[in-house]
Amino acid sequence: MSEINLTIGHFYPDLLNLYGDRGNVLALYTRAVRRGIDVTIKEISIGDELNPSEIDIAFLGGGQDNEQNILKDDLVHVKGPIIKNMIEDGKVFLCICGGYQMLGKYYLEHDGNKLECLGAIDIYTEGKKERFIQDTIYEIELPSGKTVKVAGFENHSGRTHLGPSVKPFMKVIKGAGNNGEDGFEGARYKNCFCTYSHGSFLPKNAAVTDLLLETALKNKYGEDYVLPELSSEIEDLALNKALEYLNG
Amino acid sequence: MRFGISKLAAKTVKLGLRLIGRGATTLPGKTALKFDPDAIKKAAEGKFIITVTGTNGKTTTSHMISEMIASFGDYEVINNISGANLASGIATTLICEKPKTDKKTIYVLETDEAAFAKIAGSLKPKISVVTNLFRDQLDRYGELTHTRDFIASGIDKTSAKLILNSDDSLVAALGRGREDRSLFFGMSKESMTYNNKTYPSRKGVLKASSDAVYCPECKVKYEYNSRSFSHLGDFYCPSCGFKSPSTTYEVIYDLKNSPSDEGYVFEIKKGEEKETLSLKIPGMHNLYNTCAAVSAVTEMLKLEGREEPFKKACKASSEVKAAFGRMEKIDLSGGKKLCILLVKNPAGLDRSLSFVSEAHDAKSLMFLLNSNIADGKDVSWIWDVDFESKVDQLPKKIYVSGERYGDMLLRVNYSGKDQKDLECAPMADAVKLLKKAVEECEEGGCVYVLPNYTAMLDLRGRLVSELGIKDFWK
Repeated sequence: MSEINLTIGHFYPDLLNLYGDRGNVLALYTRAVRRGIDVTIKEISIGDELNPSEIDIAFLGGGQDNEQNILKDDLVHVKGPIIKNMIEDGKVFLCICGGYQMLGKYYLEHDGNKLECLGAIDIYTEGKKERFIQDTIYEIELPSGKTVKVAGFENHSGRTHLGPSVKPFMKVIKGAGNNGEDGFEGARYKNCFCTYSHGSFLPKNAAVTDLLLETALKNKYGEDYVLPELSSEIEDLALNKALEYLNG
Repeated sequence: MRFGISKLAAKTVKLGLRLIGRGATTLPGKTALKFDPDAIKKAAEGKFIITVTGTNGKTTTSHMISEMIASFGDYEVINNISGANLASGIATTLICEKPKTDKKTIYVLETDEAAFAKIAGSLKPKISVVTNLFRDQLDRYGELTHTRDFIASGIDKTSAKLILNSDDSLVAALGRGREDRSLFFGMSKESMTYNNKTYPSRKGVLKASSDAVYCPECKVKYEYNSRSFSHLGDFYCPSCGFKSPSTTYEVIYDLKNSPSDEGYVFEIKKGEEKETLSLKIPGMHNLYNTCAAVSAVTEMLKLEGREEPFKKACKASSEVKAAFGRMEKIDLSGGKKLCILLVKNPAGLDRSLSFVSEAHDAKSLMFLLNSNIADGKDVSWIWDVDFESKVDQLPKKIYVSGERYGDMLLRVNYSGKDQKDLECAPMADAVKLLKKAVEECEEGGCVYVLPNYTAMLDLRGRLVSELGIKDFWK
């Protein structure tokens, strides 16, 4: 047994599993295990108990409309209040696409129907007919002050707008981002990171994987905890090939 | 008159394309439909048509049905060329392909799910097969339940006999309210239970991303008495009671031997009748495809008033050989072989990986990944597949190419494959890498190549121009 251990809470893996979402969990798992960290992946679906102290990183992916409708009650009414507290307490969350939208205040469908969401972070989404479907490039500033490029793929018809307490997660270099207007992608509130980027998002972007791992382990083991060095040669190759491909 | 002009236009375009040395699989039909939107309806009139739709196994199943019917000797079979399964490709087939004999002609048409909704009413097929529904380029096709609704709307414009997969909850649901004309094929439920108990499946770090986990009507999770693979199995909804229907045609199998090996022996049972078959195109999923094909051919023979239709259909299944990009093996020097398996969606990749992990001759493996429009622009689907539980059984060395080789390389690496056992090259050097894979493959072994659609077309082109290999894929 390693002294350092980490539990990834994979929310609704049987329903929120679109566009390679599981790759994100696999990336967190792989880059932690390669550092000798003991990793447990805990599946939390409808009816399952949610114990915040057991989870170090929470992951919510996106689902098809039919699937998202199935879990809405459980997410909004049963686990919602607990998730809100976890986020307020600084727990690390990664939420992609549908998972991102569902954390917000509401989703206004393009026919005017308003769907109440969790209200865990101050964002709202408006559905439009036209979908943004394309490869994307973003830029992110790491805690070290270094700026890195990040590659992804977006596929969403929702336009998300951030309230004053929420910061954008990344800057759009290529793609539509949150709403196709303000040049930003995703949201960050405390340690809750949200993005529209599938791709899968984390595997090619080792800097972001490490940011999440380090934040979660600092939460758990104290601010002095430093994530051990680990090569990202193969991840960087994938990232650079993707950037090359996207830039033609 | 209009249809006359439309037919003439289609044939002229086809002749023109042939003259300039181009394949003519869709443009003639497109032209015909422009002149006469009813061209398909008119061309289909009076024809005996069998359609095959579903996200996976369309090409293989149509191919099996065609070869089986052709083997009887007293029918001519016409089918559309793999990939040309939209309205334009089907119009091309119906208008331009003329029977060469005076035998009765049976048209076997693989039909894209969305196209099926539009043209089923015009085709008026006598028999419609629905193989399965798995997630397939969702960025192009949208949600799976929509795909099912597409097929349902097509079915309702026909009076076709429906041949449905009993183990796929999405497909089986198509039989609801259409009981009088639905027949089900699938694995024998007892057989699945026996195999699940006797040969439990390996588990990976993370389950594969699965489809159709919950009953769409009740939003309650399906329970399974037993499973074959993915979401296929003897399911039931604890709330509404909807369950895997009893089968008319069922596969009795035993995983003591592997369906990944050629000549795997199994049985198909229909009521009291039972026949022993040998699997002509290997792979567990081809047990379903074979059963679907036997069902379709039996039903066709019944409509034709033939004696012993089931027995004849089972016997004919021994005449089947591999289809384009599906399990075809090419002989190379040194007793080595090359086998190209087209993979275009998570279910297909999962099945192919499972196949390669079990095939005794698999000594080398190569992936090619592209992301052109025909592939789906989004490469994230490779992460939906459970490589993790199979990686230990795959060949030691893995080669990766294609326009998105960086993504595939990382995917394989994250499955637990050491970087030193991976080799990659851009698409421009794909043949060079393949040659290396062949060189490094042990004598008598087979190099399995898993490309997605445009990567396969590109690789084929390169094999012809760089190695002078002729149309081995037919």
